[in-house]
Amino acid sequence: MSILLDLSKKYKTLSIVGMAKNAGKTTALNYLIEEADDEGVVLGITSTGRDGETTDVVTGTDKPRVFLYEDTIVSVPSQLYDLAEAGLEIVKKTDYRTSIGEVLLCRVCDSGYVQIAGPVAVADTKKMCAEMFEFDCDMILIDGAIDRKSIASPETSDAIILATGAVLSRNIKRVVSETTHIVNLYNLPVFEEGQARSLIEKHCHEEKIMLIKDGKIEKLGLKTGLGASRFIDDAIDDSTEYVYIPGALTNSVIADINPEKFRHTRFILKDPTKIFIDAMTWRQYLKRGFSVSVLKNIEVAAVTVNPTAPSGYSFDHEALLTAMQEALPEIPVIDVRM
Amino acid sequence: MIQGSNRRLANVKTRTETGLEYVLTSLDIYTPFGQKILKELKPFFPGQEEDLRKELEKVKDMVSFTEENRDSIEKLDVIFMCMNNSSLTIERSANNALSVVELFELKTLLLQMRSISSILESGSARVPDEFVLGDTEALLDELDPRRDRMNTFYIYDDFSEKLADLRRQKKELEHSVRRALKARREEIRKEYGIMLTPKFDIVIPKSGDELAKARQIKDLEQVAEDYASVTFELSKTEAIYEITKAMEDITTSIEDEELVIRERLSRKVSEFAHILLENCEKIGRLEFALAKAKYAIKHNCVKPEIVDEHIIDICEGRELQVEDVLKSKGKAYCPVSMTLEEGVTCITGANMGGKTISLKLSGLVPLMAQYGFFVPCESARIGLSNYMQILIGDSQSVERGLSSFGSEMEELKEILDNSQERSVILIDEIASGTNPVEGLALTRSLVDYLRSKPYITLITTHFEAVTEDPGIKNMQVRGLSNVDFRKLESELQRANRRERINIISKYMDYRLYTVTENRQIPKDALNIAKMLGISSEIIEGAQKYIK
Repeated sequence: MSILLDLSKKYKTLSIVGMAKNAGKTTALNYLIEEADDEGVVLGITSTGRDGETTDVVTGTDKPRVFLYEDTIVSVPSQLYDLAEAGLEIVKKTDYRTSIGEVLLCRVCDSGYVQIAGPVAVADTKKMCAEMFEFDCDMILIDGAIDRKSIASPETSDAIILATGAVLSRNIKRVVSETTHIVNLYNLPVFEEGQARSLIEKHCHEEKIMLIKDGKIEKLGLKTGLGASRFIDDAIDDSTEYVYIPGALTNSVIADINPEKFRHTRFILKDPTKIFIDAMTWRQYLKRGFSVSVLKNIEVAAVTVNPTAPSGYSFDHEALLTAMQEALPEIPVIDVRM
Repeated sequence: MIQGSNRRLANVKTRTETGLEYVLTSLDIYTPFGQKILKELKPFFPGQEEDLRKELEKVKDMVSFTEENRDSIEKLDVIFMCMNNSSLTIERSANNALSVVELFELKTLLLQMRSISSILESGSARVPDEFVLGDTEALLDELDPRRDRMNTFYIYDDFSEKLADLRRQKKELEHSVRRALKARREEIRKEYGIMLTPKFDIVIPKSGDELAKARQIKDLEQVAEDYASVTFELSKTEAIYEITKAMEDITTSIEDEELVIRERLSRKVSEFAHILLENCEKIGRLEFALAKAKYAIKHNCVKPEIVDEHIIDICEGRELQVEDVLKSKGKAYCPVSMTLEEGVTCITGANMGGKTISLKLSGLVPLMAQYGFFVPCESARIGLSNYMQILIGDSQSVERGLSSFGSEMEELKEILDNSQERSVILIDEIASGTNPVEGLALTRSLVDYLRSKPYITLITTHFEAVTEDPGIKNMQVRGLSNVDFRKLESELQRANRRERINIISKYMDYRLYTVTENRQIPKDALNIAKMLGISSEIIEGAQKYIK
């Protein structure tokens, strides 16, 4: 059975996110589109988080050009409409504007190549997906921003497909470990329902560091944790159960916290994209008892690997695929070049 | 300057300060056509009384139409919110082949017009003939060859047999290429055990024995190589190149034919351009008329009586901006009545007594009337003016580096230079920012000057001497005159700062009455200062100086 058919049963919207530029995101997108055509799944295709500068249009580099089959629903800015090779029936003019015109929703009448682009704001993409479903597509693939993992915020789609590949490192082990690190972070446990969670959810819009002690909330006058390690350390006492960090979680946020305090205190984050700590350091913290939960995590539906880097080197296909699948036994891993 | 088409009734500041701009921005207007009507809105001037009466009669009809067809109006609003400005596209159709996106927009517009017409026909009351849209069904048929009236557009095969035929040919060629390639892929799989991707390429690692096999296949072309792998692509045969070339020729013919169709459709659009543009304008006027009616209903406005003599007679009027603020706090507005004729009228009375709001109201009501709106009163009689201006302190003068007195004098000069027969001049506490001796003298001299002019002048002032001059009408805010001060004070004692202001406004009677005999202006300033918590040391000190 094809991977896409499998995914389409579980998810309605999937974002495709690259670990880095040239990690093979467009290749992954094309691969899934081919599978959808074989399986008779009607797709909706759009993209998000791209600023739509005109240089992109001139060079044609950053807007993925994909071959779409008939009946696919696709978002195309009005200025790219005439450039499409495919026959596109306009079914709706949306209110979302980009620098290259308003976004049109089109149904492919005659298969061919199309440059896709969608709303710039993540929130708009979510709204537009709802509009796309009105035109009877079975599932929507969202082409995420090139190399900004942060754009894969959990609100946009049900799950993500993570595109990774040789471009990350010349060392195959490194590619695998960096990818697993991200997948592990995305799969961090969700903070369980309860009094503490409701308290944090009620106050998290204030964007302040909060501590929960004996079921009571205490706010620190700090907006982000950056460089605030010592203040947080001071504030944590024996009764502190949870610490909520609203912004980024970096080394400097936890470096000065006494590891003894990790034992009884759990750190809470909005979502996993807020973590900026590398795999090695992360493992060391975990060893010392550091524990983190998130208000919302990100489901990784599949990982695609691209064994070829644009700078010329490549890995053995089987070796990369096997190593990755062994490291991530729970998640389907696909080589998009095979 | 007076009679030109750019004739101005009131400047921006006057329209803003009286609250007219606030009313105009509160109107529910969504379409670019309605916005255009709003932007170009012109007031009626003296001599056009009959036209204005007709216009207000139309507003009245629209109000009853709105009340009787609430469902239809809601449906219309939904369409109005989705309308785009296509006038430029319509004009472009005369000399250009419109793009597919433009044709889609026009089809959308035609479908919207169709819905508007059917909503108007289904209503119980008849919409006035001036809003009935011209018939564009024939043009819609052109843009919708399948007659399914769906809001989608494409250069469908139905537009021309030639196009359908060309597209069929292209598709057949595409399929034959794909069939040939697929057949070859299958052969390679059977013969060599090598499976090409659906894109007919393959990456083969150098380490295995597959590479040697792949190299044997003569139509497998090497397209890329690095130290670990080689990428091959199925090369195309002569026959396939022939087909590809034929396909490109057909693609060109398809594009040509699409252009022919777009040109044909554009010509059709241009034949209808006149009706389309007229319909757009009608939609704009309909939306504007409905917005006026809806506003009148929502804010309890009535039809003003337009009279020939130059008067402003307001019965139970409400300043809309203040009323909206009070409503949002769940409080009621205390309406104010006044009758103003040519000559000078002074409003005097307590601080916090709403003098300035009454001054603004006396501008708002005649302005709304002259712009063809219903007015926020129980009833009103309005004689049209040629010129209206309000002189009131605002923060902008400080930004421009002028003192409050300086900017007052600048504006006063503008007023005196521009005033003409049938003017309305509203002045808020002039010369209060300078020394009282000169201030009083200036005010009195100004009043003397204005008294002899054919203007309606309304002045709020604290200089009581001004009101004593003969021929000056004096209106006073009732203020706190009928209040039981002991009760008020006991309430104030327990109140905090914000509550104090609320309590004072609760006891304040904002209504105006005309002072007939010589009467002293009530000295409420010290009372109010005391109520707001100024220490008794200061208050008593002040009282000492009055004696």
